[in-house]
Amino acid sequence: MGNLSKFHILEATIWASIAIIFFVFSFEFNQGIEIYKFGATGWPRGVILMLVLVVIGNIFHQRTHGSSAQDGRVGVTDDELDGVDKSASSILNIVAFVLLPLIYAWSLKPVGFYAATPIFAALVIVLLGERRIKWIIGISALIYAILIGLFMVVLNAPLPQGTVSPFYDYSAFMLRMNNQLQHMF
Amino acid sequence: MIENFLAGTAALFGDPFTIAIFVFGVIGGMLFGAIPGVSMLTLAAILLPFTAGLEASQGVMLFAVIYCTGTYGGAITAILFNIPGAPENAPTAFDGYPMTRKGLAGKAVGAAVLCSAIGGTASALVMMAATEPLAQWAIRNIGPPEIFALVFFGLAVASSVGGNTIWKGWMSVLLGLLIATIGQDPVGGINRYNFGLSDLAAGIAFVPAILGFFAVSEIFIQAEKRAFGKHTAPKFNVDFPTIRELWRYKIAVVRSVFVGFFCGILPGIGATLAAFMGYGEAVRWSKDKKSFGKGNLEGVISSETANNAATGAAMIPLLALGLPGGALTAMMVAVFQMHDMEPGPLVFYNSPDLIWVVFAAMFYANVSILFIGLIETKTILYLLKIPFHFLAPMILLLASIGSYIGRGLVLDVIVMFGAGILGFLLRRSGYSIPGIVLGIILGKIGEQNFAQGMQMVHYDLLTYFSRPICTILIIAGAITLGAGVYKALASNRASANQE
Repeated sequence: MGNLSKFHILEATIWASIAIIFFVFSFEFNQGIEIYKFGATGWPRGVILMLVLVVIGNIFHQRTHGSSAQDGRVGVTDDELDGVDKSASSILNIVAFVLLPLIYAWSLKPVGFYAATPIFAALVIVLLGERRIKWIIGISALIYAILIGLFMVVLNAPLPQGTVSPFYDYSAFMLRMNNQLQHMF
Repeated sequence: MIENFLAGTAALFGDPFTIAIFVFGVIGGMLFGAIPGVSMLTLAAILLPFTAGLEASQGVMLFAVIYCTGTYGGAITAILFNIPGAPENAPTAFDGYPMTRKGLAGKAVGAAVLCSAIGGTASALVMMAATEPLAQWAIRNIGPPEIFALVFFGLAVASSVGGNTIWKGWMSVLLGLLIATIGQDPVGGINRYNFGLSDLAAGIAFVPAILGFFAVSEIFIQAEKRAFGKHTAPKFNVDFPTIRELWRYKIAVVRSVFVGFFCGILPGIGATLAAFMGYGEAVRWSKDKKSFGKGNLEGVISSETANNAATGAAMIPLLALGLPGGALTAMMVAVFQMHDMEPGPLVFYNSPDLIWVVFAAMFYANVSILFIGLIETKTILYLLKIPFHFLAPMILLLASIGSYIGRGLVLDVIVMFGAGILGFLLRRSGYSIPGIVLGIILGKIGEQNFAQGMQMVHYDLLTYFSRPICTILIIAGAITLGAGVYKALASNRASANQE
């Protein structure tokens, strides 16, 4: 096993799963193209084959070197967090912070940008450790005002309005206000 | 040429409304390039419908100016926050961000300003002098096999920077290539990997992918450091580099102008590959290779000179052949079409006024980077003083809007945050984010040109080697790839001997 750890095996399994999933799904579009011998599957399957070969190379490298970076590599990011105390609350905080934007993105269709944004901004600030209510509300309101001012008023950019009442009604109200503002000038 | 240039200048500065559009383009491009989370593409996408109300020359000129100044603006966020404003600024972050962490942000940004201006101006001058002969040369000598060979070389360079090992570098690039296969195939238009979602038929848009992999993942990384008490605010500094300091890198600047111009002139390649190649060549020729990625000013200089040198060159295939080199030049095609025009050789004969207004505007836009850039930069450096927990929601929201506006799809915002989570996990495991992004951008171009090339040579790969440019690029790519694998295997053997 050399320097291979459980993490390395899990890592290789995930890459192998990606390769298998993409290979299996390639049969869904396994059609010939009259003017092109390799068809729609030729390129993706070539990439999958190379990926498998490189994953094997990576396993051999990790067997002798573990996770250490190869000598002379350029642009290696320094994102390691060695020697820090990873408490359960800190990990929960990170998980919540990572999932929050996904929830926000999913909420954009039903709730809309206008209603979801101030709540999202406030929650991000809270998850990053700010506890002073005045600052949370003040900064969230400032961010909201800047975004609305720039994208709705100045640039008239179309943003998601939501599909569910009362969020949709709120978006409609904001757009009406913007219309009136535009007519004033 | 000088007469035409003066005529273009007169047309540009003779009309107050055209001047206003020019100034708006210069400042708008710089600002949108420099605001973390949005980019020049966001501004261009918003402005596209409004160009219908402008004259054709004003519309095309506006986009050309945004292209020049936005390419520079994206370097600011790459250096200050490790968030490239556009993919062409990704290599700038390799050394620019470590310089910010060391308190040398002013030097990095100052070098970016000067080198962007030099690269862009040199490129604009060559573009004005040689668009037609270069276009003729490109028509005769550059075909799908050459473009595929350059994509291969570019991917080989990308795999050699960023990841912890050559293997992880290639895994990152191949993941990007795999993501690029989502959507319709470029030859037969057959849907691939859309998993029943009709929105995925058009593929993964690269703006959300870039924002997710760079901006969102960086926010997650910083949030994690903050949660574990390891976050340190970047040091604020506005000391620009001296002329003497920059003079040391004159050869790197000249080399990057050539590399950037060559990459820019090739249809479909654009400034992104130019920046990677400029950076890769700087590493290759440097005596102090190990200092790259840790805050070497030459890394910033090479990348920024090359990407701006590509902006002028990218106009050559666009205007002379009608082939866009990237997202923004593709939007310029749309501006032409809105005015019932098609970019291509006939534009030079039918609308010479338009061409020279655009050329003059690009020249002056690059010159103004130097002056406006230096003033603007000192102001933008104050962004470093905003506490992270107030800046983070702004960046996330700007990135959300930037992703949504391109196609009006909520799916793109979901893709962006998904890419952010994936980027966060992959960065923690030593993979190369720029490698993934370059794979996504070059995947479709590579596949399309590979397919066209194979049809041209009747599926005989050896015929590729009868084309000199193609041969040189394939050999260069193979050497880069081979050297990386050799180093990895040699270190394996050395470790085995030690055991």
